Amino acid sequence: MVDLSVKRGKLILKNPIMTASGTFGYADEFEDFIDVSKLGAVVTKAISLKPRPGNSWNRVIEVTSGMINSIGLENVGVEKFIAEKLPVLREKNINFVMNLAGSGMDEYVELARICEANKIGAVELNVSCPNVKSGCLEFGTDARTLGELVKSVREVYNGCLIVKLTPNVTRIEDIGLAAQENGADAVSAINTLKGLGMKLSFKNGKFSREQVIGGFSGMAVKPVALGVVNRLKQVLEIPIIGLGGISSMQDVLEFFAVGAEAVQIGTANFTTPDISERIIDELAVFMEENGFETLDELKAVLRHFPPR
Amino acid sequence: MTIEKNKKMNKGEVTQIERVANEMFLIKIKVAADFNSRPGQFVSILCDNHTMRRPFSIMNFENGEISVLFKKKGEGTAYIACLNVGDTVDFIGPQGNGFHCAPEKTLCVGAGVGVAPVYYLKKVLGDNAKLVAGFQNENEIPFCLQSEIDFIATDDGSLGGHGSIIDYLDAQINEYKPARICVCGPHIVLKLVAEKAKQHCIPCEVAMEKTMACSIGVCRGCVVTLNRNGKIDNASVCKDGPVFLGEEIVW
Ligand SMILES: Cc1cc2nc3c(=O)[nH]c(=O)nc-3n(C[C@H](O)[C@H](O)[C@H](O)COP(=O)(O)OP(=O)(O)OC[C@H]3O[C@@H](n4cnc5c(N)ncnc54)[C@H](O)[C@@H]3O)c2cc1C
Ligand SMILES: Cc1cc2nc3c(=O)[nH]c(=O)nc-3n(C[C@H](O)[C@H](O)[C@H](O)COP(=O)(O)O)c2cc1C
Ligand code: FES
Repeated sequence: MVDLSVKRGKLILKNPIMTASGTFGYADEFEDFIDVSKLGAVVTKAISLKPRPGNSWNRVIEVTSGMINSIGLENVGVEKFIAEKLPVLREKNINFVMNLAGSGMDEYVELARICEANKIGAVELNVSCPNVKSGCLEFGTDARTLGELVKSVREVYNGCLIVKLTPNVTRIEDIGLAAQENGADAVSAINTLKGLGMKLSFKNGKFSREQVIGGFSGMAVKPVALGVVNRLKQVLEIPIIGLGGISSMQDVLEFFAVGAEAVQIGTANFTTPDISERIIDELAVFMEENGFETLDELKAVLRHFPPR
Repeated sequence: MTIEKNKKMNKGEVTQIERVANEMFLIKIKVAADFNSRPGQFVSILCDNHTMRRPFSIMNFENGEISVLFKKKGEGTAYIACLNVGDTVDFIGPQGNGFHCAPEKTLCVGAGVGVAPVYYLKKVLGDNAKLVAGFQNENEIPFCLQSEIDFIATDDGSLGGHGSIIDYLDAQINEYKPARICVCGPHIVLKLVAEKAKQHCIPCEVAMEKTMACSIGVCRGCVVTLNRNGKIDNASVCKDGPVFLGEEIVW
């Protein structure tokens, strides 16, 4: 048996394959497709203090090798999550990370406090959702504000604190460093890019146009994500969780090569609902067949190999 | 509505594919032995090189095969239209709740390709149902269904009644006296049929359509707004629907 575990400070996973926030519901929905308890961790849909109805216009549209979403952080709210979803996750032995979305500093701190009180092992701060107008985005794009946020959350929360970064910034290194300096245990990158998807057709002398403005994700964003992880790796000590466009084991290896310690599968869950479990199995077989006993060995080889 | 769900990933072989009307195709797919479905449920088909699966109503399930009636719109449906007998189709389903299959007099209303799920409903209900459908013109009527439809209207009058199916609804309701109406078609048709049903004080079940990203209830991409006893809430078309009570939809 190969050892797929990841141990980097407070980031402890039985394997490096996680599923990304907003693409995996609250996990139970996937039970018809995979054994969810096999996953390194499931990141929940963003959870806010109060339930959010989300945006009401067209919410998703396909683009070349990806999609645009403007879900608007629709979610059940923390109270209902704790009452209804948490017991299910625990009973089924599913490792999970709670993705938190506040609309201001106070809300994040309050959410973190609730997580601490309920002994939630890991949280991911969503400071980068491009769909919600107030608050959110500013935290992810300004290093000083983000630093303050991470510091305040750290004061009330002792579990594994992951900060999810947006690629929609000029100097991602500054943002990553602000998270690290203020006590984050890990960063995850990337959240969605800002984009616009359109379907324009011309029929019977008339144009029809469907469009969605929102977060761009899927296979097409992988080069951006790899670029971001690579840049972060140059400056950060804390572990980086890589995501963006991952749809195969090959993609996972690429993220390891640029320095990711673990990865998250997002949009690919929609196309192929059992993809996460398949990648775990493939990774184990690949390591077994090629003589890698631990993930660290594999990563070391991938990183040592000089790029051409 | 409670029903058993069987949301597995399926692979099935194409056993038949043919053009049945202008830009409209019928595909039959052999499914696993334990597959079971009911009218109003749908399958979500993986199209090569596409991120989002495409949802299609099940038009029939018989002899271990499902039928899907689809209209060529864009890249996804063009891909499916090019499949050949023997090719493999990767799909998720059956998804969603479907129509109530209660044995009560049901007026099944279809518009365009939306005739597919209500045809299936009529088949299941047998003598308890009447199927009426509207199309743009006679070239849009799938020939495989033509003899199964009890009343047809075309916008240009090229076959059957002249005008929209909505224009004939009052007469159909007065004549058939259904206990409920079930409808599938473009959004505007659903809305108008639901309004008519309300005027006649007949419950109406509508099969909604929304672009889907996951089709398994996790992305919240396909929501519609419902008003249930004054409580406004979102419901996903893929998991909570696609069939809803017309009076509950916030149009
Ligand atoms: C529950 C459900 C059941 C459905 N059942 C059927 C069915 O039985 N037969 C059938 O032919 N179609 C059905 N549809 C619609 C079908 O899913 C779309 O036509 C299909 O996804 C279009 O894919 P495409 O790649 O060819 O077109 P795209 O490239 O995605 O789009 C091309 C054009 O088609 C339009 N379009 C895209 N999606 C939809 C949609 N969901 N509804 C209406 N127009 C759309 C777009 O506005 C665009 O202009 C159903 C949809 C839902 C949600
Ligand atoms: C439909 C959808 C909903 C999402 N919701 C959230 C969310 O609630 N919180 C969050 O941090 N990220 C959210 N994301 C972003 C993903 O977690 C991920 O960062 C992004 O999609 C890039 O990865 P991918 O290309 O593998 O999907 C969402 C993405 C999609 C497609
Ligand atoms: S398509 Fe994702 S929730 Fe319905």
